[in-house]
Amino acid sequence: MLTGTWGEPKPQARIPLVDPSFLEQTAWRKSYADLVREKADLSDYDCYTCHEQKNPPPLRYNAEHVLLVPDEHSDIKMGHGTHNRNNLCYNCHNEGNLLTFSTRDGNELKFAESSRLCGSCHGPNFRDWEAGVHGRMNGYWDHQLGDFRRLDCVNCHNPHSPRIPTRKPAPPPHPLRLPLSPEAPAPLALSH
Amino acid sequence: MASTEKSSPAVSDETERLLNRRNFLRSSAAFAGLSALAASLSPLRELHDYSSVEEFMQKYYKEMTPDDMARAIKRIENEVQRQYGIRPHVRDLRPMDGVEFVYCLNLTRCIGCRKCVHACVAENNQSRNPEIQYIRVLKLPHGSMDVDKADHLYNPEAVPEKGFFYMPVQCQQCHNPPCVKVCPVHATWQEKDGITVIDYDWCIGCRYCEAACPYWARRFNFTKPDIPKERLNLNMAYLGNRPRKQGVMEKCHFCVQRTRVGRYPACLEVCPVGARKFGNILDPDSEVSYILREKRIFIQLKEEMGTNPRFFYYFEK
Repeated sequence: MLTGTWGEPKPQARIPLVDPSFLEQTAWRKSYADLVREKADLSDYDCYTCHEQKNPPPLRYNAEHVLLVPDEHSDIKMGHGTHNRNNLCYNCHNEGNLLTFSTRDGNELKFAESSRLCGSCHGPNFRDWEAGVHGRMNGYWDHQLGDFRRLDCVNCHNPHSPRIPTRKPAPPPHPLRLPLSPEAPAPLALSH
Repeated sequence: MASTEKSSPAVSDETERLLNRRNFLRSSAAFAGLSALAASLSPLRELHDYSSVEEFMQKYYKEMTPDDMARAIKRIENEVQRQYGIRPHVRDLRPMDGVEFVYCLNLTRCIGCRKCVHACVAENNQSRNPEIQYIRVLKLPHGSMDVDKADHLYNPEAVPEKGFFYMPVQCQQCHNPPCVKVCPVHATWQEKDGITVIDYDWCIGCRYCEAACPYWARRFNFTKPDIPKERLNLNMAYLGNRPRKQGVMEKCHFCVQRTRVGRYPACLEVCPVGARKFGNILDPDSEVSYILREKRIFIQLKEEMGTNPRFFYYFEK
């Protein structure tokens, strides 16, 4: 009885623990290099199980000159750049050898080197990335004391549609004097 | 009726003696006094939870010998084991030579997802009930840096929202920290790597530093922190994330338990867009040196206060 009169705060509804998915550090996408490292199934990257060697697939467009993505690749949404200016598969994929990329100046790059492919157009961002400033670094800031890991471009950006998608934010703070839910009354009658 | 009047004079004298005004006041005053005494002593019942003779006799951090520190660390480990049933690994980590930490945050990249807020809570053993969080993410309309217009309780279906940008605010680790100046017992001070730390065993809980801080970076433990056992981070530092007790201040310390052994802070490692950058400003090849050299615009929040933060906000070109 006496503890109540002494101004002990009334017990409040318990704040639920945050969903561990918000504490996750792994990147939301996996690069080809990640899959190789994990010894994952790479059959998706073997283009010549379907395509023919020395016979690159032709590209088809609709009347507005928007690329028609074939049904076999329906998981790909083309959205790289605005106004459909970058809707040509062979801007990045190598027409002569689908197992590699080709930069605009004709250099051939392996799948695992995709970040250098991105860098062949996005110079300033590539420079930042090499300095560790664009994109996230994990591990040790002091490279003498331990390993660090730089994420690849494709760990965060879908190369076919690079804008990072929106997401649900983690829960906001629960202020002491606000109700936990809109239905519950506010603990303090502020209106009077 | 008349017979009652006649037969009761002795009884009524007796009751009058017991129930007269003076006696009533006297006994109720005594009762109230005892109640007040009991209530005022009631905090003592909880005293065994967080206090011990060893802690009471402990010296000031800067005056402790290595032996004193070893004893203090052992006491803290025992205390945590008693409360949570798990033995932590507590260390006293000193600043590294030739290192001064700087934090840079890219406002163009931040999407306001608040992952940093909760990674920080998990890393630094903050109370979950009530909530203590070192980072507040402000939502501001584009074209404004007026923090009065900021909203930190936003909770839409998806972020970022059109027309807004997000500015996470935490301890700015000032060169000229007002919180340190007002502390009457020197329980908080700036170390040579730039981190302003708190000795939780020396803090008296006067909250002057909370009032002095222009960034609302300091938090007070009004109650005993409530941390679920399974979410306790066992990698602890004396000046860092060891569990606090009721009645002391706490704040962001750039994760001393990580950064003083060379690792990145927890808020940085969880950022999904790489907006947070941390490093040694004295090293010209570090990421933060690159940013301050190459990036065009960066601001120190409330620069006009003269606090000179080590926390820089910058924008992409």
